[in-house]
Amino acid sequence: MKRQVPLILCFLFGVVMILTEFSPHAASQSVYNEIVNWTLIVWPFATVLAVATLVQTHWARIQRRSEHWQYSYVVFAGIIVMAAIGVPFGMKHPAFEWLFNNVQVPMGATMFSLLAFFIASAAFRAFRARNTEATLLLVTALIVMMGNVPVGDLVWNEVMAWSPWSDKVSEARQWILDNPNLSARRGIILGISLGGISQSIRIILGIERSYLSGGDA
Amino acid sequence: MFEKLLNMNRQIVFILVVLAVIIPMLLNIRLPLAVSEPTQKLYDYIDELPSESTIMIAFDYGPSSFAEPEPMAEAVMKHCFDKGIKVVGLTLDPEAVTLADNVMQKIAEEKGAINGIDYVLLGYREGPIQVILGMGVEIASVFESDYTGTPLSDIPMMADITNYDQIDLLLDLAAGTSIDAWITFANTKYGLKIGAGVTGVIVSEMYPYLQTGQLVGLLSGFLGAAEYEKLIDTPGKGIAGINTVSFVHLLVVGLVVLGNIAFFIQQRKEQG
Repeated sequence: MKRQVPLILCFLFGVVMILTEFSPHAASQSVYNEIVNWTLIVWPFATVLAVATLVQTHWARIQRRSEHWQYSYVVFAGIIVMAAIGVPFGMKHPAFEWLFNNVQVPMGATMFSLLAFFIASAAFRAFRARNTEATLLLVTALIVMMGNVPVGDLVWNEVMAWSPWSDKVSEARQWILDNPNLSARRGIILGISLGGISQSIRIILGIERSYLSGGDA
Repeated sequence: MFEKLLNMNRQIVFILVVLAVIIPMLLNIRLPLAVSEPTQKLYDYIDELPSESTIMIAFDYGPSSFAEPEPMAEAVMKHCFDKGIKVVGLTLDPEAVTLADNVMQKIAEEKGAINGIDYVLLGYREGPIQVILGMGVEIASVFESDYTGTPLSDIPMMADITNYDQIDLLLDLAAGTSIDAWITFANTKYGLKIGAGVTGVIVSEMYPYLQTGQLVGLLSGFLGAAEYEKLIDTPGKGIAGINTVSFVHLLVVGLVVLGNIAFFIQQRKEQG
């Protein structure tokens, strides 16, 4: 029963939502609108589950004294402080906004900024023209990087002044993005979409059951 | 010597990056800037909208990546307020609400725009796909009130806006995959026109949508923000940012070229 009911619900709602796509009839659209409203109500419960799982996981880490268990207290401190201000007083409360603007924003920006240092160091160490494929990748990356910034145009024009490609770095960058990049990306999108469709059909028909937890059994 | 160069301490690279960021900021260098076609298309689309049109801006980025999309938001909102276009803001990212509120208030104050008449921030709701689909049916069924708690029925500019039929453009300013969802569920299903402004790292993923016309235009990282600022003739964070990024790019290119020269000379020495 614990498996049959979700499987039947999944099949019914899956089929109904597909059918509403092919019927502009008012009744069909009304069913569609109603189901969309239900999903809006159902979704926040996923957040409640997510918070419960987060608390459970970090509580277990503290109890087991797992590696870096002390940081789990920081997670709890963050949740409790932000919730204690945000839930009763709202996100427009000055204390909530102060904590967000002066703690979360600088921390997030710092993490992202570190990438610049690691990318520069990694590019210097690892980007080597060791073979044909690596050389192609290297040349493409350098052209896109130069074409992406205004100073790239200036430097390219100076360095390549003797050649017929002296003012072509932006065009070359655009051609790379519009042709090889676009073709490869479209292939990826088609592959993902076909995979998504086949997986959806498997779920609706009850062939794929891993979402019920406990594997396909 | 070349072996030393190849094994250069990474702290030296870090110091060079710091200098490449700080020096252009101190010198306030202005570099010539050409406008790319995707930016021009977005600008033209917004510029051709009549006064009293409405565009929706989705602030789908968080504190870790706001440096690139925020200048885009500022430039586009300045353009909209100058033209009398109304702006509806929202986000699918819970971390972005305060960022969106900050930037909307800042530009509104600068341009004398009034909350509820010229712009409104709806805020955040759970479930990205459900929110996108739900607003196609009725915006008030997803956001019953705006970010300040005012019911949508009491907001003058929302009086004539029921769903996407009254929205002339959705501009998604994103640092992740939200654009795929907007295109799949808002553009394909409801025919909503979509433009995008994305961080540099994901811009290459947007080109298939640009070519098919599913995106009316595209802003690419700091470069896109700077180009838009040039088009509206209001230099801001985008132009300042692209100047700094330019020198970091130049440094990385220089390091890669230098590393490869040293690598080849070292290899020759070992072979001969």
